[in-house]
Amino acid sequence: MDAWVAAILFLVTYALITTDRVDKTVAALLGGLLMVVLGIVPQASAFEAIDLNVIFLLVGMMALAYVLGRTGFFALVGIRAAKLAGGRPYALMALLALITAVLSAFLDNVTTVVLLAPVTLYVATVLRVSPVPFLITLIFASNVGGTATLIGDPPNILIGSAAGLDFGAFMLNLGPIALVAFAVLLVLLRVLFHGDLAVNEAVREAVMDLDEREVINDARTMRLALVVIGATIVGFLIHRSLGLEPATIALLGATVLLLGGRIEPGPVLREIEWPTLFFFVGLFMLVAGIVKVGIIAGVADALVRVTGGDGTVTVVSLLWLSGFASAIVDNIPYTATMIPLVRDLGHAGVPLEPAWWALALGADLGGNATIVGASANVIVVNIAARAGHPISFLGFARYGVIVTVVSLALATGYLWLRYLL
Amino acid sequence: VTQKLRLARRTTVAATQGLLAIEPLLIAQDVDLLGAMRRSARQPSTRIIGVIDADGRIVGVAPVALLAEAVVAHAVPEAFFSELSGVAEVGRFGHAVEARTIGEIMLAPATITADATIGDAFRAMHQRQLSGLYVVDASGTPVGYLDLQELALRYVEALEGASGSTATGVADVQDPPGPSTP
Repeated sequence: MDAWVAAILFLVTYALITTDRVDKTVAALLGGLLMVVLGIVPQASAFEAIDLNVIFLLVGMMALAYVLGRTGFFALVGIRAAKLAGGRPYALMALLALITAVLSAFLDNVTTVVLLAPVTLYVATVLRVSPVPFLITLIFASNVGGTATLIGDPPNILIGSAAGLDFGAFMLNLGPIALVAFAVLLVLLRVLFHGDLAVNEAVREAVMDLDEREVINDARTMRLALVVIGATIVGFLIHRSLGLEPATIALLGATVLLLGGRIEPGPVLREIEWPTLFFFVGLFMLVAGIVKVGIIAGVADALVRVTGGDGTVTVVSLLWLSGFASAIVDNIPYTATMIPLVRDLGHAGVPLEPAWWALALGADLGGNATIVGASANVIVVNIAARAGHPISFLGFARYGVIVTVVSLALATGYLWLRYLL
Repeated sequence: VTQKLRLARRTTVAATQGLLAIEPLLIAQDVDLLGAMRRSARQPSTRIIGVIDADGRIVGVAPVALLAEAVVAHAVPEAFFSELSGVAEVGRFGHAVEARTIGEIMLAPATITADATIGDAFRAMHQRQLSGLYVVDASGTPVGYLDLQELALRYVEALEGASGSTATGVADVQDPPGPSTP
């Protein structure tokens, strides 16, 4: 009986999250709490399931990104990219993609795209081209760049914490395929947006007139934030030697920055995306419920039966299933649900390491397929609409599906060559 | 409290809008941003511009702050790049840098009729976060302007016991509409 109640609760919560009928944080919290209230999972177990490594790692990185963002750093690199491109649209697109990918690998994707969007919108306007291809570029690059590291995308943080895979492991295993996917993305951008990038020579000068010195609000804090973020990343790389979890290092970085920059913590803490963090809290409790009643183990057994226990087939299926699912539902609840399932697949003899990478690659790269695939997509589409350039679901998907299918195909080859051959 | 409520419910816009010499400022929707800014600068006391169509009807309003921001966004966009952190702000900025005419940046019309109460007027201003409303007739043609300062002054008078608090006719105190720009 508990299994049925838990399954229904889980599916209803998922439906609420996916259809946006109720705020997704409220839906996840309600689902998770009902698992406790209905006695499916004991309160203590539900609370233990809340992975504080994930929550605190996100808090620390959000604080670091916020402080760096308000110094004007993102606008600075955006303007430098525009000037370096010399007003040539494709060069600008490629440089914006590169900056977005690199920043997204180390900082929150949403922060990165929001803070790069004003420069993008302005430069597109003065070049008299539509900003839409450039805004879509920000989305693709943020999702591909975020694939490369532990802290690049929330699914990676979830997987890293659950599987004990650290920053170095993500860099070594997902870094190479992220680089390849990014290089191919640059080619795809050229092909997909070829007709949208013609520019009048005379208007290029307006881009070159931009003065990047004007955007720096606080040079001292910017330098300090960059040093602290750099040190935090080094800390992630050597965290095992330090005997510290990544969450501790991220929080320590944020605290040092607040101290060194004499920054009042109140405004910084107010900018933390608490709804996202409580979304995680609800999901952890919700998933604890379906794990407890054995639903996840049952699905894992069924999956192994379908694939005949073949490691290659299972891992590749997991990659494409994750890519497809992440295009339709938020990749955070999807990953939270799949983590215990992948663990059970490991118990059934499926090679675990490639399965984790398949899950991460599918969840991260699949986010590019539709406007609802990842938080950054929703945010950029919202900005575009407010700026007078609405991007429709199909209008985005005609590019997003191509980029996603190509990325997943590359990831399939990579997984096969590196882990399954 | 009852007396204050009565003031809000019984005092009409018509009895309030002429308290200060704040004239309406009406600008045609196809006037470019620089021209609109120059017009506004000649009449600095009016902080809400009424945007009108070819028939002289209000089709939108443009707070002077919004107009000034759009002009600055064209001249020195760098001033905004590092200040914008929210989706709405970034979207508005993107819209502003593309705009060429006041019609492209205007907000939805913010109007009220002369027989409405100052309670209604305050609610409308508060909800829209605007510091003034255009008083229109049944066809949507502007016949006057009510500024938040005039409204507040009415309450000041009431609180100080200096106000007569009786409604007077619109024609007695109404600001005449200003000339439209070509």
